Amino acid sequence: MWSRVRGWDAAGGPCRLAMRLLAGPASGREAAGAARREGRPHSKIQKLFSTSNIVSTEKDKSTTSKDSSTDVSSKSQEGTAETPKQKLLDIIGHMKVEVSYRTKLQQLKTREIKKQATNKLEGPDSEGAVPRRTTEDIQRGKPLNPELVEAVSAVASSLPLNKKQTESELLAQLRRHEETTDKQKRGGTIHLRNVISEMAIKRQSPAQRGVMLSRRISLEFDEDGRRTKPERLSPQSSDSRRSLKGGRRLNIFTKASTEPENALKTVSSPTIWDLEFAKEIAAVTAQPPRNGFEEMIQWTKEGILWEFPIDNEIGMDDGAEFHEHIFLEKHLEGFPKQGPIRHFMELVICGLSKNPYLSVKQKIEHIEWFQKYFEEKKEFLQEI
Amino acid sequence: MAASALGWALRAARQVLPLPRTWQVRSYYVDWRMLRDVKRRKLAYEYADERLRINAIRKNTILPKELQEVADKEIANLPRDSCPVRIRNRCVLTSRPRGVKRRWRLSRIVFRHFADHAQMSGIQRAMW
Repeated sequence: MWSRVRGWDAAGGPCRLAMRLLAGPASGREAAGAARREGRPHSKIQKLFSTSNIVSTEKDKSTTSKDSSTDVSSKSQEGTAETPKQKLLDIIGHMKVEVSYRTKLQQLKTREIKKQATNKLEGPDSEGAVPRRTTEDIQRGKPLNPELVEAVSAVASSLPLNKKQTESELLAQLRRHEETTDKQKRGGTIHLRNVISEMAIKRQSPAQRGVMLSRRISLEFDEDGRRTKPERLSPQSSDSRRSLKGGRRLNIFTKASTEPENALKTVSSPTIWDLEFAKEIAAVTAQPPRNGFEEMIQWTKEGILWEFPIDNEIGMDDGAEFHEHIFLEKHLEGFPKQGPIRHFMELVICGLSKNPYLSVKQKIEHIEWFQKYFEEKKEFLQEI
Repeated sequence: MAASALGWALRAARQVLPLPRTWQVRSYYVDWRMLRDVKRRKLAYEYADERLRINAIRKNTILPKELQEVADKEIANLPRDSCPVRIRNRCVLTSRPRGVKRRWRLSRIVFRHFADHAQMSGIQRAMW
């Protein structure tokens, strides 16, 4: 509370006071931004710059006022558009000020104060404040979101003092925000304000916050007496500020084209000399086992030691399905369909299907041998 | 050239130094009977399938007898050493035809010799 009382500026008008008063109860309600900011320990630098208090809390006030206004407006216009209000709330909630950029903010806010002071000077002079704003809107080229404009009007109406001025100020803020986003999208000239506004929108992860807190708390000193930790941590934080994947591409590196390796070696099979050379290399590089584990590994590679868990079907599994083992009738096509030979072959097949020790190939070989044998004996059989 | 020479030297050193393996190297069979037994085993392995198939035709009640007689003749024409009956489980080390334990393929004397020198895994003097 003391910061607000101290930070009474000459430029601060009655509306400012109103906003600040409103911010009092509203800050308790607010979830993001303001509460967190005030909870932070006030360093010496902040205390030195009395204006900075206003500076740091001004935007806070504006956001809090907006939040309060949006709360009010949301209550008034319930059924019409709830999600855009929530979106607005979210947007404003994310628009926080990072403590590390305090000096930059100070500059920004002084500029803002000057601008708003000029606006205020113009404001009471001109009677038609609202039509002027509309012309300015048209001049910008991009009309503001009508819902936002409605919200702004609701805010202005809710506040007791000088509705037109508050409305104009809020609209100006909105417009500036939209301008910066547009410029960012188009990729125009980088203004400090735009950069800061973009950075402000970004959310600070709890990891980063922890890092910063830890940095403040524990400062390790080198042998020379210089600080080592902050230097180490700064590149990390700068990386996190600038996201790796976001932003425009520089097009410095070209994608490595995956060229198909057409250049095949003329010698298709490796020569004896190549094999010999490979064997030599393997023999030279093979280190004797350092411990029992490596010895066991070597044995397993050689085949002396089995692989665990023991697979009972190590040499037997030929990858054939069970139906290939059991249903062998399709191989009986070369045999006569009637007669003792057919009967005999069916028995053979029955026996083979029950044999788990033979592979499918071996079974087929058996049947083929029988086929050949009976074909050779055909003339003999016909004599009978 | 230098690299290969170095490789040779290294390999030689590694071969000699870390693992001096010394055991009996058998380049001959113990006696001629063992050699004949080895030949019989090889042939039996070669003709195993054929003998099985021909025997399947022979030991049959479905097929005509003439066919079975032909099969008899065929199997008799196979080499004599191809039948598995002629294989004798001799001792691997001494070629002793009798007193051979099948699990260790050793005759009783050799088995006893190794067991007493604690060179048989899991073998202990029985006492009960």
